[in-house]
Amino acid sequence: MDRDKPILAARDLGVSFLRADGSAVVALRDVCLEVFPGEFLCILGRSGHGKTTLLNIVAGLLRAQHGELRVMDRLVTGPGTDRGVIFQQDAVFPWMRVEENVAFGLRFRNITKRERLEIAREHLALVGLSSVARAWPRELSGGMRARVAIAAVFANDPPILLADEPFGALDYVTRRQLQAVLRDLWRRTGKTVLFVTHDVDEAMMLGTRVIVVKNGGIAEDRIIDLPMPRSDDDIATPEGLALKHLFLHHIGLE
Amino acid sequence: MRFRQMPRLSGSAPLGLRTAGVDHRANQAKFRQDLLNGLYTGAGIALFFAFWWLTASQLPRSRLVTPLEAGQDLWANFVYSPRLGVFGLGSVGYGTLLLYTVSNVVTGMIAGGAVGILIGIASARLTLLRLVVNPIVLVLGTVPVLVAAPLFLLWFGVVPFTQVLLVAFYSAVMMVLFSQRAAENMNPIYERWALTFGAGLTDRVRHILIPGTVPEIIGGLRITLASAWGLEIFAEILGAPSGIGQAIKALTNISNVPGLLACVIIVAATAILTDILLVVLARRITGWV
Repeated sequence: MDRDKPILAARDLGVSFLRADGSAVVALRDVCLEVFPGEFLCILGRSGHGKTTLLNIVAGLLRAQHGELRVMDRLVTGPGTDRGVIFQQDAVFPWMRVEENVAFGLRFRNITKRERLEIAREHLALVGLSSVARAWPRELSGGMRARVAIAAVFANDPPILLADEPFGALDYVTRRQLQAVLRDLWRRTGKTVLFVTHDVDEAMMLGTRVIVVKNGGIAEDRIIDLPMPRSDDDIATPEGLALKHLFLHHIGLE
Repeated sequence: MRFRQMPRLSGSAPLGLRTAGVDHRANQAKFRQDLLNGLYTGAGIALFFAFWWLTASQLPRSRLVTPLEAGQDLWANFVYSPRLGVFGLGSVGYGTLLLYTVSNVVTGMIAGGAVGILIGIASARLTLLRLVVNPIVLVLGTVPVLVAAPLFLLWFGVVPFTQVLLVAFYSAVMMVLFSQRAAENMNPIYERWALTFGAGLTDRVRHILIPGTVPEIIGGLRITLASAWGLEIFAEILGAPSGIGQAIKALTNISNVPGLLACVIIVAATAILTDILLVVLARRITGWV
């Protein structure tokens, strides 16, 4: 794959919604964005400013009212196996065992059941869940279910991974552990990641690039030129702190 | 600064790992709870029979007999009851008539339930179908059985098909509503996630909608089954070639209180048994709940 050619290109994307009182609210206005293969792009912003709307359009779960979105030169008209999604909400199917959840996407790719389960077990091992492969999701904690979701998406091997605040509902320690899991899998596989978050530290810890979405538009677009994998100390450098203040300013905290 | 390591609580397992000790204790606790639940259920049944016995002892035999007398009548007439032959039911007992009733209820429930579940689930996702189906179902659902049963008898005659159709009709109407609600109540995140894996419509119905709605649909099936017994017996009383409803009709004509109560017991026991079977089946299917 040509690393200089965008894997995802959005041009003038716009969408608005109708409120209950009949007035319209613009969720995204004329968004132009290019994402390159292997990038870990964090989409940072406050709630209600259009981050999730942008991600849903990229996922094909929502159609833009104007503009154009291309993924690997193909026009996006709906969801596709080239884009795996991890939602904030727990989407792991409660009626399937853990390994069946991870193998779910492979059902639609002409892979035998035996191979599907093998791939699922490999990915469960990568997220540290080999011991609960035959468990029901209800027997797992929220953090473990988030790991199942990560394993399921990676098992399906999409070139692009979309994550919508996947760790937003988890406690601090679990969140940090899962950030490390996701970062390691990204480094290992070289996938392109679009990661929505409202947490500046999370964006700076994970992203190779951060865009700030504000009032439906992109207010800032920065490459994070800090070593990877990052520690808290890497972010506390003068360059890191300058970027952090810039992002905090954009989300209205400074 | 040094922190003293806290000792692990007795029996606690590391996060996400299950141990034999924890499993054993959990099973013991579940067994104790099941035993206690069984005792309470037994106490409820005993209380009911005690109340019945006490009431029967205060009333003349022509009004109410004791549970023991009803049980004796049931035992004596289960295989063969000469008095039922007088009413043209042939050489049958309560057992044979019950078989007819059970087969009608089961056939009607399976046919009506299958149609209702399919329409209910499909209409929850296909707006056009829902717009067409809902008014029809709501109108049909309000037709009282007192009106529907004689009409079915007039249209189809005194044949088993009439009762089966009546049970199927009401089961289908109820199951459309239960299944539609179950599908609407299911969290849309599951279908959205399946979509992102490339699941098509039939895949989503097969792997997401059907398994995801099963627990609520089984709840609906239990309610529908409970009402199906009443419907079937009412239809049989009105006119049928056989069935426990015909026995009730005959025994009412000769004011045979022990026989009537025996019929009530046998129908109630069968209804409870089928409900238990459904619950056991549901537990096997929905082990994930």
